[in-house]
Amino acid sequence: MLILSRKINESIIIDGKIKVRIIKIDGDTIKLGIEAPSDTPVHRQEVYDEIQKNNREALTTGRPVLPRLGNKSATSSPDKKAEPQQILTK
Amino acid sequence: MNTVELIEAETVSLKTETFIHLPLGLLGFEQIKKYLLISSPEEHPFLWLQMVGEMDRSFLVVPPSFVKHDYQPEISQEDVKFLGLVSPDDAVILNIVTLKEGGRAFANLKGPIVINKLTGIARQIIPMNSWKYSINHALPVEE
Repeated sequence: MLILSRKINESIIIDGKIKVRIIKIDGDTIKLGIEAPSDTPVHRQEVYDEIQKNNREALTTGRPVLPRLGNKSATSSPDKKAEPQQILTK
Repeated sequence: MNTVELIEAETVSLKTETFIHLPLGLLGFEQIKKYLLISSPEEHPFLWLQMVGEMDRSFLVVPPSFVKHDYQPEISQEDVKFLGLVSPDDAVILNIVTLKEGGRAFANLKGPIVINKLTGIARQIIPMNSWKYSINHALPVEE
């Protein structure tokens, strides 16, 4: 592992296209600013690991019997489509 | 988008299969980029996201409107750009479902799949407000 020392507002550049800058240091918390191309996924490690694990568990072989969704979809109304306008916020 | 409609003679059901391209794959399955999205009336509202060339490997998915009506993942500018979304109407969102013993089912609201329905390009995103959502949201399954 490469280990580098950086001060606030200093950055490192990876492969000429990914820039990581130290924005703020507050106790044991460091705020990083990351600039990367849109096809380079950047995630918090623990969230990435959680979703990866969930995907592995969700992988299905064959065609199992599917559950029926009950009427008490309480929070949902199956006939009503989610408003796409509300889904994209930025 | 390339949709193939197959009328199955025996069941007289209308099955649709749509090619979906995930250039980055799903998390943990980065190398698999081509999928078929399969829907049939008998399985409504569920759909299958099946690996192309791997008949036996697929993910069960469901539209969020059947899971949580006020689901509003915030999609980052990077993801909007990657997917080439011009209008929010062009986005289709699906949640991956995990089936567990006892007929229980859980939807992943933390890492939804977003598809540009005009191009078939998709990506599993982590919304900016993903902290609000569960990775194991129980579906309202009938006993």
